[in-house]
Amino acid sequence: MAGSVQASVALVQLRERLCSRTFAHSLLQSSSDSNFRKLKFHISSSISSACSKVLLLRGDKGSGKAAVVELVLKDLKAEHPDAISVVKLYGLLHNDDDNSALEEIARQLCSGHEFSFSKTASLEENKEFLMDMLKEYGLARKTVVFVLHEFHLFTQGKQWLLYTLFDAMETFTSQSIIIVGLSCLEGSEQQLEKRVRSRFSSCTLLFGPPSEEDGRRLLEQLLHLQKDSSLPSKYVVEFNSRLHKIFSDKKFKEILSSFACADGSINHLLRFLFVASSYMDMESGHLSLQSFESAYSLMKRQPKFDSLHDLSILELYFLVCMHRLQCKEETSYNFNSVMKEYKAIQDAYRTSDNYSHAVCLRAFEHLLDRELISFTDAKGRNDSIRFRPVKLLVSSRELHDSLKSNPSCPAILQKLLDHESYM
Amino acid sequence: MGKQPKTPEPERRTTRSAASISPAPTPSKPSAPPKTPEVSSSLRHLLSGFPGRKSQILDLIRLIGPLNSPSLPLLLYGNASTGKTSTVLKVLEHLNRPFVYVSCRSCHNPRILFETVLSQLGSSHKQCKKMPDFLNYLREALAERNKEMVFLVFDSIESVRSWDTGSKVLSLLLTLYDKLQNDGAGLLYISRSTPDAYLLRFGSFQPIDLCFPDYTFEEIHSILMRNQANPKLYSSFLSVVLKPFTRVTRRIDELASALDPLYKKYCEPLTDSTITPDEAMKRRLFDYVQPHLIAALNQTFTIPPRALKDKSGIKRQGSGIGNATGLRELDFHMSVSAKYLLISAFLASRNPATLDAALFDSTGGCVGRKRKRKSSQSSIDKNNTKAEEMLTKGPGTFPLERLLAIFQCITSVLEEDSSLNEEKALENSIGLMSDVLLQLSTLCNSNFLCKSGNCPLEGSVRYRSMIDEDMALKVARSVNFPLSNYVYRR
Repeated sequence: MAGSVQASVALVQLRERLCSRTFAHSLLQSSSDSNFRKLKFHISSSISSACSKVLLLRGDKGSGKAAVVELVLKDLKAEHPDAISVVKLYGLLHNDDDNSALEEIARQLCSGHEFSFSKTASLEENKEFLMDMLKEYGLARKTVVFVLHEFHLFTQGKQWLLYTLFDAMETFTSQSIIIVGLSCLEGSEQQLEKRVRSRFSSCTLLFGPPSEEDGRRLLEQLLHLQKDSSLPSKYVVEFNSRLHKIFSDKKFKEILSSFACADGSINHLLRFLFVASSYMDMESGHLSLQSFESAYSLMKRQPKFDSLHDLSILELYFLVCMHRLQCKEETSYNFNSVMKEYKAIQDAYRTSDNYSHAVCLRAFEHLLDRELISFTDAKGRNDSIRFRPVKLLVSSRELHDSLKSNPSCPAILQKLLDHESYM
Repeated sequence: MGKQPKTPEPERRTTRSAASISPAPTPSKPSAPPKTPEVSSSLRHLLSGFPGRKSQILDLIRLIGPLNSPSLPLLLYGNASTGKTSTVLKVLEHLNRPFVYVSCRSCHNPRILFETVLSQLGSSHKQCKKMPDFLNYLREALAERNKEMVFLVFDSIESVRSWDTGSKVLSLLLTLYDKLQNDGAGLLYISRSTPDAYLLRFGSFQPIDLCFPDYTFEEIHSILMRNQANPKLYSSFLSVVLKPFTRVTRRIDELASALDPLYKKYCEPLTDSTITPDEAMKRRLFDYVQPHLIAALNQTFTIPPRALKDKSGIKRQGSGIGNATGLRELDFHMSVSAKYLLISAFLASRNPATLDAALFDSTGGCVGRKRKRKSSQSSIDKNNTKAEEMLTKGPGTFPLERLLAIFQCITSVLEEDSSLNEEKALENSIGLMSDVLLQLSTLCNSNFLCKSGNCPLEGSVRYRSMIDEDMALKVARSVNFPLSNYVYRR
């Protein structure tokens, strides 16, 4: 009884660590060449010299850009109390019309200073408010940091917000306005308009996956329980020593390396550890090699192969027919032409799988539903699906494998797929 | 049909609507460790409610984790009617966690989606149109809950893709985890499409995928066996019919609705429905049901025989055209003028417009029409490609005027045919020509015809006939109209 309570306390601790966006990155911040140090150096230098700066952080999804920015700003806020205010914007949300971005800026600035925020303010009013605020900040020697998440989305469209911000940076030369752009796309600064680019000069920080050494360190620190926690020390020691044994296991290393081959980013590792920790044995309260193995098998599923495996025979017939049409170099085909091919096969071989039009149409709809085939034309014409051209989203190899692995697949179907001509 | 994943419980509808009011867990009760005997018995009950879903349920419970522990977003995917929605709802109910359920299929635009979520969370904001507002209000509403974990369940997110601003809304939903920072919300997405469909839209944390595969043959069997009055009889029935049916479809909802009437047929020769069948009886029942089996395999839905029996009052009186032999198999619940309209629409869609004058000349019909047939290879090829084109392009479009002209021609032919009785014919034509536009809109509403956009040159609405040739022939036969004479054959 006590064991399972311990286990659930430990599990909650682990989950809190693994779900936190910043915890894993805070473990890595101490190393000398970390992005944390670089970013902190850039921002604090421009705060002390009161100059403006644009910083671009680039890296894959889940490489920890936002987490590092968060950690740096938290640190700097502690060092310079009341001297920094932060505005966070998202390219997805604040780029559709111009006012939504300025409105959000006004809202965040208001909530920071307990001004009352008016939702009905017009674009001009919001812009004026922003300029006034920046002027005030300049007099008070305060720094404003704009964090632009999804920076590549801000470079689409009219780029009005970027222009406004860059323009403000040129106008208020005596104070520091720092813009931090986070982007997962290469070359998003190339898309800037001329008038924006002329005001744009930045330095870029690159984010990559952690080194092997860092990864191993991270793994240990993420999973090891703390000695000074509320858990009994005997349990903690036992838990950690078991983990040690697992880490040195050859099989575990294999799993980890094949996992890192697919995606080496930190967040991917966190996901994996999260799943593994939820497979913890609640009776004993310990992680075992098996929990890592089952987590790995859960995460390496191949959805397309699964859904091919689940098809009924009639649906397989239709895929094979479409594949044959493709092999005959038909440029476009729809339900009617596939049906013609199906009937031709049924006439030639007289199999037991000869079904009526309506049933075939339903099977066709199932395939559409599973997204193994899709329409090639745009939606809008109020046509029945019988006439809309479709295309196959399954490669011949995938189809081949799925037929082979299906025990109830008729031999004739296999033959039809292998030998394109049947006449 | 098949929109909702099927569960065997008949009261599921009410459960779902009741579930949308999130049940707050009683604060006095501490987090129950999952191994107390009371909980495990309710777990057993839960598992027995979903045959074949054991590993999914256990995985889901594990991933949701202990009470008020943070959780990464989860994505549950699987084909239609594999029990995704009902499993999630029942599991959350079983764990007694507060949750908000919203189905993107029933919310057809972002505004309704946002407002549904907010109102279930008890937000004070009644209106929410824009995505930035939604995020702010959601944060506020979650902050009011004081870190008490609430699960947001977004069902059928694949349907968001077809909305006007769908791609943006979908991106927002899938990156909510990044944007709601440590606010105490667990995210559960339910989708019919595989995770591949969303790969580009995920935020920094890709959701953990949980696959709901289709039921295997044995699982289908055990699901169908649930709640049967006479399991022995039903199992002998399934041993006969289930194999052929699973070759056609493996969706449990379609199988259940197809097998139900067939089982009634199967039981027909029996006087006592509680009987335990022996081998000889099984064989006899199989022989009885076999012809029905083949018919049932080839139809997607059955019309109960009652609907066909009372066909009095369907046929319009008078006319004297439709004699009983013509409508042996199917009668149309349709007025005569609607039938003619349907035929003319079919002709207008099928024939090229340039041939109208030749087909409907003053003599009516092309009875005496003879054309020289060229049989050179090139013309055969040409014909083949044209037939191919016909197959892929579908029926053509036509303006209203052309339809009315053909309709008038056809009905005038009809008058000539029945010129024996002059007065009656006159009456007929008046009867047929009245309310044509009304009939037309009825046919459009019932999807026999469809309006297919405006012609860019003329600016008028064009129509298109949606019926196929078999159907048109049947309609023509029911009014004794020689349709084949008028169809242009290439």
